[in-house]
Amino acid sequence: MTINLSNVCFTYPDTPDKPVLNIPSWTVQTGEKVFIYGPSGGGKSTLLNLLSGMLAPSGGDVSVLGERLDKMNQRQCDRFRATHIGYVFQQFNLVPYLNAIENIQLAAHFCEGEKTDIKQEIEALLTKLNIKPDDWHKPANKLSIGQQQRVAIARALINRPQLLIADEPTSSLDQHNRDNFMAILMSLIDEHNITLVFVSHDMSLSQHFARTDAMSDINDFSGAH
Amino acid sequence: MFLKLALKSLLNRKGSVLLTLMAMTVSVSVLFAVEHVRHQAKESFSNTVSGVDLIVGARTGSLNLLLYSVFRMGSPTNNIAWESFEEVAANPQVKWAIPIALGDSHKGYRVMGTTPEYFEFFSYGNRHQLSFNKGRAFDQVFDVVLGSDVANKLDYSLGEKLVLSHGVASTSFSQHDDHPFTVVGILEPTGTPVDRTLHVSLQGIEAIHIDWQHGVKIPGRHLTTEQIEKLDLRPKNITAFMLGLKSRIATFRVQRDINNYSKEPIMAILPGVALSELWQMMGILENTLFIVAILVFIAAVLGLSAMLLSTIRDRSHEIQLLRVIGAPPGFLFLLIELEAVLITLSSIILGATFLTIGLHSSQDILTHFGLHISKNIFSASTLYFILSIIAASIVAAAIPSLNAYTKAKKF
Repeated sequence: MTINLSNVCFTYPDTPDKPVLNIPSWTVQTGEKVFIYGPSGGGKSTLLNLLSGMLAPSGGDVSVLGERLDKMNQRQCDRFRATHIGYVFQQFNLVPYLNAIENIQLAAHFCEGEKTDIKQEIEALLTKLNIKPDDWHKPANKLSIGQQQRVAIARALINRPQLLIADEPTSSLDQHNRDNFMAILMSLIDEHNITLVFVSHDMSLSQHFARTDAMSDINDFSGAH
Repeated sequence: MFLKLALKSLLNRKGSVLLTLMAMTVSVSVLFAVEHVRHQAKESFSNTVSGVDLIVGARTGSLNLLLYSVFRMGSPTNNIAWESFEEVAANPQVKWAIPIALGDSHKGYRVMGTTPEYFEFFSYGNRHQLSFNKGRAFDQVFDVVLGSDVANKLDYSLGEKLVLSHGVASTSFSQHDDHPFTVVGILEPTGTPVDRTLHVSLQGIEAIHIDWQHGVKIPGRHLTTEQIEKLDLRPKNITAFMLGLKSRIATFRVQRDINNYSKEPIMAILPGVALSELWQMMGILENTLFIVAILVFIAAVLGLSAMLLSTIRDRSHEIQLLRVIGAPPGFLFLLIELEAVLITLSSIILGATFLTIGLHSSQDILTHFGLHISKNIFSASTLYFILSIIAASIVAAAIPSLNAYTKAKKF
């Protein structure tokens, strides 16, 4: 089991009477690809931040890859995230003034363990993602949005994570780029047998996934009141 | 990777970084300059004279006497009679006595009449004696020995003839052109006012004024050089004299004796005491300059801090991204600090470069004011100075760095 949440609740400290999340139980098996949809404000981002250890739950157990994130301190969470979890946002996935290779190197920098042939690995990954060598050394803000999102996949996968979290990664892409992005993402996920949690409001993407969860089903507000 | 991130981030914001860098460079240059000049000036001042126990001149302020006798600045208030000099020099405690006569100049450089013993007894710095780069001391009436600056700047060599001017202004209308002097010696550089002095014998000073009265030539009266050399050129009066005593313990007694001398109002000063008095006066100015320099620096460092703080807001996505890929909040703190240190280091390098260039190009002006400032601004204390500049910028940059830290913690 990759993810196991039980009795997780979350409230922001400045609004203690308004719980954002209340999840009695939610699990994701290893290698599973889960599509979560729901309107904005439904607690999607908060859920992803709990899974990546960016936020600590107000109560309950958050177990990811067999580790209890709610029991870790912040430093341990940071290291765990760098080593085991890949993350792709809707936008701002890259440090704008670094080029594609440097952005990926930066991600590798925070990962535990020495990597010797990192450069070669990055180049192979970028080639696989259809980024031309001419664009490898351009600053990220000079790349197109489609290219940036593909470099973001490379950045998220460089540390060989077991879990990839994608937060509306296709929402700023056009139809063509979106299909292109999904095809590459899915083939890499299958190739490396990575568990995927993919959040979007775009239901048409659910065709790529075997499992589709509605955010309103995961998050049970009734229990919080 | 860390350094690369900081560097590229700064290069990405060229405009504001460049302006901040300029402000920092200006302030660091000012700090360096003030610090350097105050060290150098103090050294230069206290090295000017050593081995002289007492300086005797007409009764005036001790600083005034020191300024005109040693620094060749300002004008002597009055002359003293040759007889007074002879009487004091005859004191059994006196080991040596060197008379000096001032009042003439050559192209802005002061001329000093003295005796050949001057080259033997006068010393500067850590008891360095004067030594000759070329030639020898004067022995004829119309011989002149040049300080090293005079020889260099006016490009004189041994055997050349030059004409002295009456008075101390750089452009004098009354030239002693009827009696030219011959260069017989050039001194080694000393870094003291000696370098800017022309030394002639007392007889020489007497000789060029022999057919003058009240500062102008007497018309129709002209003696040839040969005629003059035959005359009795014993000086009637001199400006001041320096004394070396047999025992330093006697200094105060001899000083009191001179101050109580009844035939003429003369006084004796201890050069060391007068020098430190002079330095105390300069000290107020020096401290004021230093405080102003520090205030300018504080303003620049606050500017740096403000610039970094304003960019944190624009960088919230970047901070969030770095957090997601595993950067701890401390990394963000250090990143902003590193950016501040990089700007400070660049400004130190630029400031030191500008100051060195400035010192090289302003050497003429500085020596004109009697200051011998070394062109090398680096010394052991410079290191501490640089470290404290960096420390100050780290402290100031803690504000934006903490801001980035708390922002990172919130994601």
